[in-house]
Amino acid sequence: MADAEIGLPGAGAGGSALDEILRPVTVLTGHFGSGKTEIAVNLAFGLRNRGTGVTLVDLDLVKPYFRSRLVREDLEARGIRLVAPEGDRFYADLPILLPEARALAREGAALGHRVLFDVGGDDLGARALGSVSGLFNSRTTDLLFVVNVNRPFAEDLEALRAKLMAVQAAARLEMTGLVANTHLMQETTEKTVLEGVRAARTLEAATGIPLRFCAIVGNLARAFGGPGGKADNLPILAMERHIVAPFAEKPSGARRRSGVV
Amino acid sequence: MAKKLMKGCEAIGEAAVQAGCRLFFGYPITPQNEIPEYLSARLPQVGGTFVQAESEVAASNMLYGASGAGCRCLTSSSSPGISLMMEGVSYIAASELPVVIVNIMRGGPGLGGILPSQSDYLQATKGGGHGDYRCLVLAPSTVQEAADLVMDAFDLADKYRNPVLVLGDGLIGQMMEPVEFKRSTRLEDLPAKSWATTGCKGRERNIINSLYLDPEVLEAHNWKLVRKYEEMARTECRHEFWSPHGDADVLFVAYGSVARIAKTAIDALAEKGVKAALFRPITLFPFPGDALEKAAARVKHVLVSELSTGQMLEDVRFHLGKHRPVSFYGRVGGVIMTPDELVAEALKLAGKAG
Repeated sequence: MADAEIGLPGAGAGGSALDEILRPVTVLTGHFGSGKTEIAVNLAFGLRNRGTGVTLVDLDLVKPYFRSRLVREDLEARGIRLVAPEGDRFYADLPILLPEARALAREGAALGHRVLFDVGGDDLGARALGSVSGLFNSRTTDLLFVVNVNRPFAEDLEALRAKLMAVQAAARLEMTGLVANTHLMQETTEKTVLEGVRAARTLEAATGIPLRFCAIVGNLARAFGGPGGKADNLPILAMERHIVAPFAEKPSGARRRSGVV
Repeated sequence: MAKKLMKGCEAIGEAAVQAGCRLFFGYPITPQNEIPEYLSARLPQVGGTFVQAESEVAASNMLYGASGAGCRCLTSSSSPGISLMMEGVSYIAASELPVVIVNIMRGGPGLGGILPSQSDYLQATKGGGHGDYRCLVLAPSTVQEAADLVMDAFDLADKYRNPVLVLGDGLIGQMMEPVEFKRSTRLEDLPAKSWATTGCKGRERNIINSLYLDPEVLEAHNWKLVRKYEEMARTECRHEFWSPHGDADVLFVAYGSVARIAKTAIDALAEKGVKAALFRPITLFPFPGDALEKAAARVKHVLVSELSTGQMLEDVRFHLGKHRPVSFYGRVGGVIMTPDELVAEALKLAGKAG
């Protein structure tokens, strides 16, 4: 893992580090396939790099493959705790909500470290959150909505606003921030990123929910200044791709078990 | 149309819409639920109808009825659900109706697991249900190809009046890649179906049926079907031959996701001084046997790799003959081989293991 290439922007001139602007409990929601898992895993590594204790809760009860639990060994090797079903149920697509997830929703902020919740996509995925919503303390919790306008049913403002409202209603929590994550995998260009930021700004203007940061992978993040950089004046989260297909290159030093998606 | 980022399942759903399909019947099962999920939202936008059937058996019979009425229609499922549909598929093939069926395979047998597999190759290519019939089978290895082949599947189904099966493993269904939809069929441009049950006012009745009590009539019907399959074998075989490092010693034969893994392995082998190439069948029925024979004639070793215990292997051995040694490497149950595992197998064959 190349430490220098991932992580959170430090507090530079006119900007704040993401670990300063995000509350101790960060919940990632979004439309289906918006990139919540990749962002959650990268935030976990990034926060850990800055010396914070981190727990990641895999609350994705919707998609069957490519969940954050897939990189359990990589997370644990870096001292990041993963809360996800164990044993046979690790592989299941069953609606399992662990008691520990409830405890972390309630007391996560009191642990003195960071807790990240990776929630399933759409309002369907956010229902799991709705069942524990009463446990979160709004002063210590950020509820983020991830946006990729290259995804189906998320192409225009009206579709996005409808998704956001549906997720918020299912989660029974107030959204506190937007995350721009518009990309096309390996075909992403600077233009893709900037168009995505502009689209997210339109959603920000329409809903009053502030756009907090922009997630960018690999070399492209370096084009925007890497950790600490900006995309159209928005702080960036410089990411490495951790959730990859079996034929794609894994991050260097990855310890996850092979042969499983 | 600008490129979108889609899961294989979503791209399959959109490709069906672009191909003029307005009817979907199906029943949920992982890992293909994103197809019905997508179409349940998308079909109403284009005046289509999405029906969640009470079972896979019902879905396949709804498909039978809708295609008999001349409509482009689709169902999708995953391995155990496809098994349930087989009665309907046999009736559809017997009645010579064009339908498209998508199977996003998961680990079996039985209820198995929800992770990717290619263990339904034999079911897909040798009929699947009862009686002498075949489905035309297309096997994509990228999300883009899944979209393209679904569009082709509707045309091929109409051309042959025969079920076309798009066979993908769970990975093809679940992974996300950029995709574009290169063509869009207007409903008014779809071929006329003079045989469809669209109301017989002013013409003879059309009857959709698979019951033939007279054995000689049934026998003639069977041979008529066979002539269609022979025509498919003459004109529809598709494959990809990938040999980026020059004359190869080792030929991988793989389809779907495994072909992607083999490509990664082939590049890694080149760095170790072993030249390898890939033969990827795109049509599994008809199987591109002649092309395989030509590709295999130029190499020392043939290595078949599948997410099964050796199903396509039988077709490869059939086409290459019993005197040609063919090696096999398979993983099953939802476990996927890594590129490193294929590299190790190829090194063993090339005598460079170590």
